[in-house]
Amino acid sequence: MLRHQDDAPAPAPEPEPLIELRGVDKTFGPVKALSGLSARVGRGEFVTVVGPSGCGKSTLFNIVAGLEEPDPGGALRFEGRSCHAADLLGRVSFMPQRDLLLPWRNVIDNAILALEIEGRPRKEARAEALRMLPEFGLSGFEAQYPHQLSGGMRQRVALMRTFLFERDLMLLDEPFGALDALTRTLMQRWLLDVWQRHRRTILFITHDVDEAIFLGDRVLVMTARPGAVKLEQRIDLPRPRRPDLVTAPEFIRLKRTLLEAIEEESLKSFQVAQEKAR
Amino acid sequence: MTAQRSLAVQRGVLGALVLIGLWEGVARGFALPAYVLPAMSDVLLGVWGKRAMLTEAAAYTLAEALLGYALGALVGIGLAVALILLPRARGVVVTAVTAVNSVPVVAYSPLILLWFGIGLASKVVMVALAVSFTLFLSTLAGLDRVDRRSIDLMRSFGAGRLALLWRLRLPTALPLILAGLRVSTVRSIIVAIVTEMLGAYGGLGWVIYQAVLQIDFVQVWSAIVVASAASLLFFGLVGLAERRLLFWRAS
Repeated sequence: MLRHQDDAPAPAPEPEPLIELRGVDKTFGPVKALSGLSARVGRGEFVTVVGPSGCGKSTLFNIVAGLEEPDPGGALRFEGRSCHAADLLGRVSFMPQRDLLLPWRNVIDNAILALEIEGRPRKEARAEALRMLPEFGLSGFEAQYPHQLSGGMRQRVALMRTFLFERDLMLLDEPFGALDALTRTLMQRWLLDVWQRHRRTILFITHDVDEAIFLGDRVLVMTARPGAVKLEQRIDLPRPRRPDLVTAPEFIRLKRTLLEAIEEESLKSFQVAQEKAR
Repeated sequence: MTAQRSLAVQRGVLGALVLIGLWEGVARGFALPAYVLPAMSDVLLGVWGKRAMLTEAAAYTLAEALLGYALGALVGIGLAVALILLPRARGVVVTAVTAVNSVPVVAYSPLILLWFGIGLASKVVMVALAVSFTLFLSTLAGLDRVDRRSIDLMRSFGAGRLALLWRLRLPTALPLILAGLRVSTVRSIIVAIVTEMLGAYGGLGWVIYQAVLQIDFVQVWSAIVVASAASLLFFGLVGLAERRLLFWRAS
């Protein structure tokens, strides 16, 4: 496994990771989804994960969200203590690909869903969500229902639900995948802005290399199935990141490195598929 | 949407008027005897003439139907919810319930009349039997329809089985539960009337049965008209409640 690029600055003494996976395997029947996956996310860090489709990104997420237990043998540590995946249920704020808003709840009540499940009084939770609305560009929309909102707004409500569920680790699974390109770049900038103010730890899955570089402190490139971390790339681009960063030579250089790694893996999974077809 | 709705209501009323006109024309034009088809005007006059008796009979039948409906809905929905909380009982319960309902409910009427007597109780039980099956199946289908990913999301928030049921499964099932409730309105009145015809102390079915014995076909039709009006009213009210509750499906 490749570590940091040679010309990257010597890594600063790393803080204790918030979550750490070591040698994690996961099999579903005959399919090996993850094999010896190791990754760590430091407190306050923004880590993005890219990889060819079907590389087990979602399996990795489901494990960290506490929804799937990894095969015995690997190590999973959260806040410095070793734990089961199920222990993470309710301790990680998770946002799936689809917004999954409940159609019978309005914006506010969708946003406070997690708080309600925690047992917070509804009135208090609503007041807190109301204060957060402007930051998410949803002022005045609190009483609207999901079917009345645009895709970008629905996604912001879903993000607000994730932010309101105050956990140290946030998991975002291709949250902007379904949006058009323009809305998407706006949402990326907005997310960075919000992240900088709230300073949560974020693990962010995407299949868009630009997005991965633009957002992350570090990018993890996954191998073709069975998934593992192929390359870990530190992104030392200054923050706050400006929209024209994507045309900077430094950005392009990073993109080339990452694309090469991804392409190698995509080709591998393509060849495997061809061999199987024969 | 409201404009479209009122248009639909207008069309419905127009259709009903055309049907009544046709009926009247056919019965008068061919001078049909009352046992084949009495004129609509005679039937409406008959309803007016016997209004006290018909109102009382309709109230009796409606009471049976509503009580049975409420009981059946409670049992059907309750059983489906219980199976979600106790998934292991599911196979056995679904098989047993389906077996009981594999014959028309009316087939049980002699037994039910024997066990519960000729009064109100037997009608309530028959209606409840019919309604509970419909509601059981539609509720179970509704509770199963929930998106796996939504369940995962709520579990990641720390939701347990009860929270999932209350905040996710039941609202997801609501459209199907309400559709079951709407269909059951008409069924409950049908079953109440049919059971009354097999033995009762009152009600529209009993009126129809007595009128047939007395060869009074205007009265038979009068009771049918009242029964159908009661059914439509019940159906309409539940339909209205359904549209109100499912506001998010409006568009």
